[in-house]
Amino acid sequence: MSSLPASSLAGMAVLAIGGLCLIFTSVFPWLVVFPEAWSLPMNEWIGVSLTWWFELIKPVARLVSFVLEYPMTWMNKGLTTMPWQISIGAVTALGWYIGGWRMALLGFLGLGFVLVSGYWIEGMNTLALVGVSVPLALTIGGLIGIIAYEFVRFRNIIQTFLDIMQTVPTFAYLTPLLLLFGFGPVVGLIASAIYASPPVARNMLLGLQRVDAEIKEAAIMSGSTRMQQLFLVELPAAKRQIMIGVNQSLMAALSMVIIAAVIGGFDDIGWEVLLTMRKAQFGESFLAGLVIVAFAVLMDRMSARLIEESARFDFRISMGIFTASVLVWLAGSEYLPEASGIALLDGVAEQVDSGLGEFTAAQGVRLDEIKNGAMFYGLLPLRIGLDEAVLPFTWGFQWNAQMSALLLGVTTVVAVVFAYRGWQLAGIGLVLAAGILETGIANLPWPFVLAGAAALGWVAGGRKLALYAFLMLAAVLISGLWERALLSLYLCGAAVFACAVVGGSIGLLCAVSPIAWRIVRPVCDMLQTIPLFVFLIPVLMFFQIGEFSAFLAICFYAIVPMIRYTRHGLVETPPELLEAAQACGTTRWQILRDIRAPYAAPTILLGLNQTILYAFAMLVIAALIGTTGLGQSIYLALGQADVGLGIASGAAMAILALVADRLVQGFARSKREALGL
Amino acid sequence: MTAHENSTTKAAVACEGVWQVFGGNAEHALGDALKQNGGDAKATASLLREHGLIAAVCDVDFEIGNGELFVIMGLSGSGKSTLLRCISNLIRATAGRIEIEGEDLRSASERRLIELRREKLGMVFQHFGLFPHMDVTENVAYPLRVKGVPAKERHARADEVIRLVGLQGREGAYPRELSGGQRQRVGIARSLAVDPSIWFLDEPFSALDPLIRRQLQDEFLRIQTQLKKSIIFVTHDIAEALKLADRIAIMRDGEIVQIGTPAEIVLRPANDYVRGFSRDVAKGRHACVDSIMHPPCKDSLGTDADDPGLRPNMTLDAALASCMSLYEAVPVRDDKGNVIGSIHPKDLVAALQVEDS
Repeated sequence: MSSLPASSLAGMAVLAIGGLCLIFTSVFPWLVVFPEAWSLPMNEWIGVSLTWWFELIKPVARLVSFVLEYPMTWMNKGLTTMPWQISIGAVTALGWYIGGWRMALLGFLGLGFVLVSGYWIEGMNTLALVGVSVPLALTIGGLIGIIAYEFVRFRNIIQTFLDIMQTVPTFAYLTPLLLLFGFGPVVGLIASAIYASPPVARNMLLGLQRVDAEIKEAAIMSGSTRMQQLFLVELPAAKRQIMIGVNQSLMAALSMVIIAAVIGGFDDIGWEVLLTMRKAQFGESFLAGLVIVAFAVLMDRMSARLIEESARFDFRISMGIFTASVLVWLAGSEYLPEASGIALLDGVAEQVDSGLGEFTAAQGVRLDEIKNGAMFYGLLPLRIGLDEAVLPFTWGFQWNAQMSALLLGVTTVVAVVFAYRGWQLAGIGLVLAAGILETGIANLPWPFVLAGAAALGWVAGGRKLALYAFLMLAAVLISGLWERALLSLYLCGAAVFACAVVGGSIGLLCAVSPIAWRIVRPVCDMLQTIPLFVFLIPVLMFFQIGEFSAFLAICFYAIVPMIRYTRHGLVETPPELLEAAQACGTTRWQILRDIRAPYAAPTILLGLNQTILYAFAMLVIAALIGTTGLGQSIYLALGQADVGLGIASGAAMAILALVADRLVQGFARSKREALGL
Repeated sequence: MTAHENSTTKAAVACEGVWQVFGGNAEHALGDALKQNGGDAKATASLLREHGLIAAVCDVDFEIGNGELFVIMGLSGSGKSTLLRCISNLIRATAGRIEIEGEDLRSASERRLIELRREKLGMVFQHFGLFPHMDVTENVAYPLRVKGVPAKERHARADEVIRLVGLQGREGAYPRELSGGQRQRVGIARSLAVDPSIWFLDEPFSALDPLIRRQLQDEFLRIQTQLKKSIIFVTHDIAEALKLADRIAIMRDGEIVQIGTPAEIVLRPANDYVRGFSRDVAKGRHACVDSIMHPPCKDSLGTDADDPGLRPNMTLDAALASCMSLYEAVPVRDDKGNVIGSIHPKDLVAALQVEDS
């Protein structure tokens, strides 16, 4: 036994615990359903203490809210009353200056689309929120970044804090903010400023740390004071990384501003999407969604251009474009309609609606088949186990004890064969998988889940990580949110599994075929630019509200990193390794299997890690279209202004994401170390 | 070339018992270790290592005269760059005394250090350390800018130094648009902008390809004959050290193994480690006649001895070439024609003998 590797030992232990639980569940039902008497009323405690604290700082919060109202109103007034001719002209001129005719055209078409869609005013309202929250986020994030850089003592604390801020789901921010700042657009503003500042802080710190040591020394030796070093040399030298932070911050702010529409009837584009979605006017919500996409693409591409150090284009032409737009406004204001009067695409929306209606009418049976197939044969067994999911109604027969025994028996035999051939770990994994499928994730006994997480932690990063995973999950367990946490885990797990298989295959395809990559790449770029919220529209259009739609939305969003990292890892093998392999006479596939794949493993694991985090982020948003679990709790808490439930569920979600993140990172690190990277 | 010997004023740079130890609570650990070993450097360093600390610079002593070009030579990891950073106070030495023109740097306040850097010190870096967001003129003028020199004045001064390093015409270029050699010229110009009296160069030519390196070494010597700075020049290249130095300090594992003129290093290496460096060096090119000549001796030097016209500062190669056909001791004369020594051709040959391992 002692000769077995640590991973196999851990697997055996988990297997044993699982087996014991399976045997004793009928005797001790508390193994599966954690008794309420044992759990602590975390929600209430958090709720009471936070409410007490909020009462204390509420005056300050209301003051902030009052002060922020001003710039917001100005920005709003400015953007909505500005003649659209001039707005479009200004963005086109800016586009020309930073990126030549391509950017100018992008700006023109993007805003032009917003205009003709009939959502100009709503769009400008959204833009005003972004326009105020981003400078706020830049200031807060920039300060945090500089403090973390200047005072090494605080660095670890700040980084942990930023980690948590970025893993706590977006919705969870909203409930406490709602209580503090009251209803209205200011809450959305503050939420998006908070949500958009970690990327700035993070990139600020990273950029400053990455400034070449000799450049810093040269600044010192030139006789600069600390302030001069920081502001004249280090910050400008870190500009590129800081601009990456600005880009991410912009996208985060836009995403959050749109999500924040959930809490307030404010006439912005997110609200429009939500409203039309609720009324099942999918044509219009699709159009409004496209407006969001147009904004996102514009902001992303233009700020991305600013990251590149390329020379700027002729400023005079920019001025010319702008002047021309002013002239058009002056000359044509009598003939051209007001922005609010333009709705050239209403017909399109109707057509989309009726087209969709016809399509779902004609293909409804097939769509239902897809949906039911995925539910009955994939999601449901995973959720509640084969013994509950396999019914005459779904599979055509009833699952019984003999079948369970057969399944477990066969896998055990296969596992023994595996172990005999030296693949103990694969064998253990197989039995575990069969066991989980048999019981279903939602019905897993909690000792098994805790032990499993601890075992994974132990294999991935030693005792410390094992303890971390165990304690974090135990906290969720005793908080009374365990059942919902398992439901979230199940949906996320299913989506991540699907993403890993499909995304990994697409990534592999793109690695071997440049043509495939040329097609997939812009799709990935697009999917990554679109704010989370928009993903809900197309799945709703075809599959209505339900778990399957949520699953699809999560998959669409979370698959991108898997594709990207898989391809990147496989493509970026050092050329001398490939040449060495070629010199040994390997074929292309042998190189892929023996050289590229092992070398890419750490990178692919990082992709998986991102996919998991993306899936958790989307899970909460997907609660809008019907999921059970923590996402739903957060959403409910928002509706009832229940801070305790909101924060506790958000924290539980964050814990799940953080544990998954640490585990995968641990595996990636050990893989990297094994490769000597 | 031996300015340090006749300098009457204070040394430009003086180091005394300088230690740089990395690790937790280094100062304390070093003090304890020194006490335990009665101040013995080697034993102290190995004791520190046992405790998990790293002694990057161990008990370094030397003095540099005004206008002297002092080279610190060592392989990577020998502590030479760390020593230079201790002297320039980029890192604060753990123990010892570092004086710049008589002023103790280790106890200087942060403000005084900034002042010193604005007035007296200049530094050139291995990878140039140019500010990527500034063009050539702005880079060069930066030390003046932080000092508060008005724009017009500092740009005039920058132009002057840019001309000195031969970069006129590239004033508006950004670092990324320059070749490696040009970049280091900017680095040199920037370090000279405040007209420092003490000039630190940290492997300034190591990142350049051989041809450019040679060219810049020659220009560096030209600039030095013009400006006569007191220089500490760090390199890992023995040929570069021999070519440039007035004196060379050879470092190994944080300690200085030998300090001497190029001829001393080549002809009288202190131990096998130094000998290892000089083995492949063409000694005839670096050692001069005066390093091996004997005092004039009437007996050995007949009145009718041949006189090939040897001078004390002739290289051994040149001397050997001019007494190829001679088999008797010959006189060495100074510029006025006085005999100041004698040398036997076979000694010349012996000195040039490549040592076998």
